[in-house]
Amino acid sequence: MDRRTFIKLTAITGTSATLASCGVPEHQLIRFVPDEELVPGIAEWKPSVCPLCASGCGLNVRVMMADVDITKDGQAGVVRMGVAKKLEGQESHPISQGGLCPRGQAAIQVTYHPDRLAQPIKRTGNRGAGTFEPISWDAAIAEVVGKLDALATAGNQKALAVVTGGRRRVLLDQFASKFGAGAPVTYELFSDDLLRRANQMSFGFAQLPTFDLSNANYVIGFGADFLGTWNAPVAHTAAYGRMRRGRPGVRGAFVQVEGRMSPTGASADEWVAANPGTEGVLALGIAHVILREKLRPADGGRPGALIDGWSAGLPAYAPQQVSTVTGVSAKRIERLAREFAERSPAVAIVGGVPLAHTNGLFTALAVNALNHLAGAVGQKGGVSFTPQLSRSTSPAGGSLVQLAAASPQVLILDETNPVFSAPKAWKVRETFQAVPFIVSFASFIDETSVLADLILPDHSFLEGWIDAAPESGSAQAVISVAGPAMKPLFQTRAAGDVILQVAGKLQKPVDLGAQTYDAYVKAALAPLGDDAWTAAQKQSGWWGELPKGVAVAPTPAEAKPAAARFVPPTFDGDAAQFPFHFLPYASAAFLDGSTAHLPWLQEMPDPITSAMWSSWVELNPKTAERLGIGLGDLVEVASSAGSLRAPAFINPGLAPDLIAMPVGQGHATYTRYASGRGVNPVELLAPVTHAETGTLAWAATRVKVTRAGEPDGKLVLFSARGELRENPREGETR
Amino acid sequence: MAHRWGMAVDLDRCTGCGACVTACHAENNIPTVGELQASRGRAMHWIRVERYFEGEFPEVSMKYRPVMCQQCDAAPCEPVCPTYASHHSEETGLNAQIYNRCIGTRYCANACPYNVRFFDFFNPVWDKPLHLQLNPDVSMREVGVMEKCTFCVQRITAATITAEAEKREVKDGEVKPACVQSCPSKALVFGDLADPESEVSRLAESPRGSKLLEDLGTAPKVTYLQGVEHA
Repeated sequence: MDRRTFIKLTAITGTSATLASCGVPEHQLIRFVPDEELVPGIAEWKPSVCPLCASGCGLNVRVMMADVDITKDGQAGVVRMGVAKKLEGQESHPISQGGLCPRGQAAIQVTYHPDRLAQPIKRTGNRGAGTFEPISWDAAIAEVVGKLDALATAGNQKALAVVTGGRRRVLLDQFASKFGAGAPVTYELFSDDLLRRANQMSFGFAQLPTFDLSNANYVIGFGADFLGTWNAPVAHTAAYGRMRRGRPGVRGAFVQVEGRMSPTGASADEWVAANPGTEGVLALGIAHVILREKLRPADGGRPGALIDGWSAGLPAYAPQQVSTVTGVSAKRIERLAREFAERSPAVAIVGGVPLAHTNGLFTALAVNALNHLAGAVGQKGGVSFTPQLSRSTSPAGGSLVQLAAASPQVLILDETNPVFSAPKAWKVRETFQAVPFIVSFASFIDETSVLADLILPDHSFLEGWIDAAPESGSAQAVISVAGPAMKPLFQTRAAGDVILQVAGKLQKPVDLGAQTYDAYVKAALAPLGDDAWTAAQKQSGWWGELPKGVAVAPTPAEAKPAAARFVPPTFDGDAAQFPFHFLPYASAAFLDGSTAHLPWLQEMPDPITSAMWSSWVELNPKTAERLGIGLGDLVEVASSAGSLRAPAFINPGLAPDLIAMPVGQGHATYTRYASGRGVNPVELLAPVTHAETGTLAWAATRVKVTRAGEPDGKLVLFSARGELRENPREGETR
Repeated sequence: MAHRWGMAVDLDRCTGCGACVTACHAENNIPTVGELQASRGRAMHWIRVERYFEGEFPEVSMKYRPVMCQQCDAAPCEPVCPTYASHHSEETGLNAQIYNRCIGTRYCANACPYNVRFFDFFNPVWDKPLHLQLNPDVSMREVGVMEKCTFCVQRITAATITAEAEKREVKDGEVKPACVQSCPSKALVFGDLADPESEVSRLAESPRGSKLLEDLGTAPKVTYLQGVEHA
C-alpha cells in the first residue's frame, strides 16, 4: 500500500467511525453534572454499620471521588461522585472498637458486586428458572399493593407470610401484625434461639450473652467459636486481646472444650476433647467438685434451681462418672474445677456445636449454673446481658415447616436464604413453589430469591439508612445507625422505604408511624432523648445508659423450674451403618453461606486449612489412614438424607469419630463467584430438631465416609505453595 | 530524621481470624486470581496467617503466625535484583519495590526465605463495578512485575507529609497499615524503630520477642512475641 492510499483509507474509516457513533446514543460519552462537592484525592470519612451479621459493628467509610458509569432517565453516562473505598471499624463504637473481622472488611464488595440487581425485576419464565424482565418501580409497587389488597378484600389477611433473617424484622413484624397476618418466620441455620431460651430460664433474658473477657482471669469455652463466627466476634476478640496482654502482670488463661479444634479453640492454652453432646456433663462435673470441696459458696441461684440434684451437690456428676460419659479424665476434671474456682474472675462460655445436639438445652442450662456458682453473672470479668431498648414485637412466628400447612397466598422474603440453608426434608423449596405470589428484597439472585415473582432490590448498606440493635458484645446499650455514605449506583430503593410506601398505599393503609425508613428509625430512638438521634449519626450509633422504663426487663423465674438432667444426645442414622458424627460448621469466610458471593472471601485462605475457593471434608489422620484416604482424595460422605463428594483434608485437631465440613459453598445460584462451586453440607442434614424450640439440631446427623477417587484438583490450598519450616516452636528457644 | 519503620506481632493476642488478609486486599488493590490460577500457586496475599499443628489427637495444639514482608535490614531480595527494583529506602528503612524498574526476573522471590513476594502473572482484572473500590493512593501492578507488602507506604507518606506541613515529627501510633488498623485484638503494632520511645521499639526489646528465621542473618524489622513467656 502506498502512502496516498493509506491516507485515503484512514480518512474514510475515521469518518465512518465518527458517523456510526453519532447515530448510536450509547457510544456517546455523556458527562452528568456532579451534585457533590469533593476534592480529588482527598478522602472524607463517613459513618456506617456493617450488615453482614447481627452484631452491628460501627464502620468508618473512606469516601473519595471517582468516575461512575450510571444510567439517568434512560441515558447512559458518566458522573463524578463520592464512592466508598475502604471500610474500617469505628474507633469509638463499643462493638467494633476500631477493628473488624474479615467479612466486615470484604463487605464493601456487596455494593460493587458485578451481579448485583440494578433495578426491579419480574419473573417471566417458569418459577425457579431464573428468567426475569425489568419492571418499573411504580408498576412493581402497584403489583404488591394489588396482591395485598386482594387478600384484604377477601378477608384473608392471614394468608400473608413473611420470612426474614435480618435487620428489618421489627418493621416487618409491625407491618404484618397491623395488616392482620401472623408474625414473621425467622430462620437461621446456626440459630441461637435455644441458648436464648436457656438464658431466659436461667437469667430472665432471652438474649445472647456478653463476656467481660477484658477482666477475666480464667475462661472455659464449651465449643463456642466466640473469636471467629459466633455471637459478637469483633467485640469479644478485642476483649480477648486485653485479657491476654492488656493488664500488666496478668494473663488470663483460656481452656476450650470441643471435638473439632475451632479457630477459637486453636488460641486456647489447653484444649480438651469431650464426646459429642456431653459438654453439659463436664460443666456439672466441674460444679460437683467445686461444691464438694466448698471452693465457692454453694449458691446456685435461679440457674442452679433448674438443675436436677443441685441442692444435693450434684451426686450424679462425680468426676469418675463424668469421665466415663465425657472421655475426659477424672484427674483433669478435678484440676479444671480447682482452677476455675480459684482463678476468679472466671467465666464459662457455651454456644454453637454443643447446643446443636438434641440435649442442647440441658448443656446450656448446666453451663449457666456453673457461671452462677463461679460468681460470674453480672460481675466484672463475667457474663452479662447488653441492655435492650424495648420495642413492641409479637412472639416469634412459627417454623418453616409449619409454613407449608398455612398455605400462604403472598410471601415476603427479606435477607434470608432457607432454600440453601434448611434441611432438604423441610421441603422449603416445594413450599415456596406452591405460593401464588412471592416478593423479595434481595440484592442478588440466590436459591431462594430465584423463586420470587417480583424482586425489589434493596440499596446496599452504604447507599441507604442502616441500623442494628446489637444483642451482645457491650456492657452498655447500643443502637447502631447511620445514614447513606454514598449515592446509589443503580435504580434500587431502600427496602425499609418500600415497605412503608406499600403500607401507605393499601386500600386500608397500615400506619407504621413514619413515611420513610430514616423517620422510622428516628422514632424508635425517641425514648433515648432529643440528642440521641443527632449524636448517633455522627458516630455510627448511640450508646450509653438507657433512660428508666425503656429497657427490656428480665422475666421472672418459672414457678416450677425444670429439673434438667443429662439425657444422652440422639442422632439420626444407625451407628453401625453410619459410624461417624457429622459436624457442619460456620466457615470463617462464609458463615452460613450468605457471604460466599464476595471474591475476597472466596480467595481468603481458611484459618485452619488454608483452602481457597473450595469445599472439603475433614478427617482425623488415623481415620483417614484406616480408610485409605489421603489429602485431596475425593471422598463420599453419606447420611440418611443424602450424599455428596468433596476432597479430603486431614485435620489433626479433629476427633477420630467426627467428620467435619465448612458450610458456605455449594450454591446452585449465587452470583458468578459462588454458583456451582463446591458442595453444601446442609444437604446431608437430617431434620432433627430441639424438642423445646423446634430449632434444627444441626450436629445430630450420623454419616459414613468412603474413598471415591483420586484428587480432582478441587482442593486449592494456599500453603501448598510452600511454607516456612514446619516448626511450631520457631523462635521460642532464644 | 530518617525512620526505621517496623512491626511487632503479639502471637498471644492473634486469633487467626484473617481480618488483616482481607484488609490488605482492600487497601492495596491486590487482585483475586480465581480458583484455577490459585490452584497453580498464583494467589497473592501480601499478608497470610500461617497455621502449625503439633501433637496428636487429643493432645493436639495449634499456633497462628501472621507473615508479611519482614522488611529486612539485610534483605536477600535486594542484592539479587539486576535492575535495583528491589532496593533499600534510606529515609524509611523499608525494603522498597519499584514496579516500573522491575523486569520480572523473579530472582528476589527465589532469594526471599519468607515466601512473601508475588509475581503478577496477569494484568489485574476487576469485574465492573468492583473497580470503583480501588484505592487511588496505590499504584496498580501490571503483568510481569513482582509485588509484596509495603507496610502501606502510602499511609506512611501521607502521615509524613501531614507532619512536615505541621512542622512536627510523626507521632507514635499515627501511622497504621491496613492490617494493623483492622486487627480486632490489636495483635499488630506498627511504629518507628528509630524512636526508642515508640511502642514497637519497646516490644522489640521484649523477652518474648524473636525474629523469624533470624539465624539466616536477614535482620528482619518484624518482631514476633511468643504466647507464653519462657524462663
